[in-house]
Amino acid sequence: MNPDNPTPDSTGVLRFSFARRQGDFTLDVAGDFGSGITALFGPSGSGKTTLLNCLAGLFRPDDGEIVLNGTDLYRSASKTFVPPEKRRIGLVFQGGALFPHMNVSDNVMYGWRRTPENERRVDVDHVVDLLGLRSLMERSPGSLSGGESKRVAIARALAMSPGLLLLDEPMASLDARLRGLVLSYLRRVHKDLGIPMVYVSHSISEVLALADDALVLSGGAVVSSGRPSRVLLDPAVGGLLRDEPVENLLDGTVLEPGGGGASGRVRVGNADIVTPPSDRAPDAPVIMALGAEEIILSTGEPSGLSARNAIAGLITELEPVGGLVYASVDIGVPVLVALTPGGVDALSLERGQHAYLVFKTSSIKLLDAAPVG
Amino acid sequence: MSSDLTIVLLSLRVAVAAMLMALPIAFGLAWILVRKQLRGRFLIEAIVSLPLALPPVVIGYGLLILLGNRGPFDGLAFTAFAASLASAIVALPLIVRTFVVALEAVDPRFELAARSLGANPWRVLVTVTIPLAYRGLLAGTLIGFVRALSEFGATIVVAGNIPGRTQTLPLGIFTRIQAGDDAAAYRLVAVSIALAIATLIVHDLLLRRGGLSGRRHRAGFGA
Repeated sequence: MNPDNPTPDSTGVLRFSFARRQGDFTLDVAGDFGSGITALFGPSGSGKTTLLNCLAGLFRPDDGEIVLNGTDLYRSASKTFVPPEKRRIGLVFQGGALFPHMNVSDNVMYGWRRTPENERRVDVDHVVDLLGLRSLMERSPGSLSGGESKRVAIARALAMSPGLLLLDEPMASLDARLRGLVLSYLRRVHKDLGIPMVYVSHSISEVLALADDALVLSGGAVVSSGRPSRVLLDPAVGGLLRDEPVENLLDGTVLEPGGGGASGRVRVGNADIVTPPSDRAPDAPVIMALGAEEIILSTGEPSGLSARNAIAGLITELEPVGGLVYASVDIGVPVLVALTPGGVDALSLERGQHAYLVFKTSSIKLLDAAPVG
Repeated sequence: MSSDLTIVLLSLRVAVAAMLMALPIAFGLAWILVRKQLRGRFLIEAIVSLPLALPPVVIGYGLLILLGNRGPFDGLAFTAFAASLASAIVALPLIVRTFVVALEAVDPRFELAARSLGANPWRVLVTVTIPLAYRGLLAGTLIGFVRALSEFGATIVVAGNIPGRTQTLPLGIFTRIQAGDDAAAYRLVAVSIALAIATLIVHDLLLRRGGLSGRRHRAGFGA
């Protein structure tokens, strides 16, 4: 809560184990969320939104328990049910659900006004600046763009000083550029305010880019949980991955913008990467998008290539998923590489092996990150 | 015969009192019909709509049995209260039906969002539901008010036609027609028309002041 004094324990902010039946669908889940960012991943209809609604108290489970920071929010055995307005769990709805009859400022202040004074730990002005909303405060929700609405919805939930922030598909229905922006805002919010976050995502790329932990749901049950790069390569999860191309969304800093025919350079993890030129200033934060299938893996130092990037890294994971094999390569940050099983055999790749990531400058897209404010 | 002014003031008093009785009940019923997935929804709807389908005289007679000297609420018949109650019951189905449409237009996600932001159910009602349903609630209220003002059949049975006590505008006009006093009847007819127009103007003014809050809203982005 307090940025000067982040919660020391890394697990056990929220513990849950409950079941809820609705029609012929049953959600029967158990797990816990730590103080970091947890991704809730799974196909449509797997129960992700229902889980969030149960945690926030908008739905009531049939039996089980939900415990936040040691306090029972729900326990069927003792008939405990804390109503949503007393849970202090922020919920960001998929569409934002901004109150249309209030301007942005009143939307943001709605929860703050209803927070007891001794529980107001978040400085609203700070949140407004953090999410870049200062110039939008008098606007009506109907006049906002998709990305702006999401940021207002996030600010509104944060202003009530939640003990936990739940986000239902915060990046859905945004184009790639805005996804990167909202993503970096979320990262910044977490780093700055230290509020544990749980967010629902359909996209492997997003999960890899944002989450410290992942919980995978399928058919109303938890099928896997743990570190994202591990969980998403879990054979139990493999079947759930859609044919969506996996994209690495990596945090970077502009070293040289380039331009006038010259390429740019961006620092990502431990590597300096040659990128297309951009009009960004040096030291500007940026998100580098790079498709997992755009990367070639080489076991020896490559030479005589037209590709400008050959980055040394360490293979930490190697898992067959669908018809492909995914390698997670550490270059200071994990990068996912899609390989064919034949390619893996030919190079006899193994975990713990050093390898080079080879990719063309033109495979890279640079996305706006939240401006440093 | 009482004066025109007495008749008009009494009519307004009876109609306002009828609204005070009908509105909270109508809102509660509409809210239950819209927000609660009740198995008996059809039954409630049927009972609520019944006064609309029955001749007002039947309602008046039913009330007379309840409020008359053999009923459990002996002594209340032939009072202004009886006139208000009759008007309230006749107006209720119209109000409930309009309120149902108004509340159905409010996306429940706004209410859930407000709950999760720390508002208890009453706060949600006052700060989210009512402002978002404002236009429809206002329309329902005015339809009910106009219906109460024009109530005749039930009123004459349970409240009679007592000048200065229960003689409202429609009863006053009726009395004057019966007495063959056309000039007096015309005056009250003119007052009736003026009252109807005034109500419409008030409706319009209140809608304008409602501004943004009046539009139909859905949770989501953009328009």
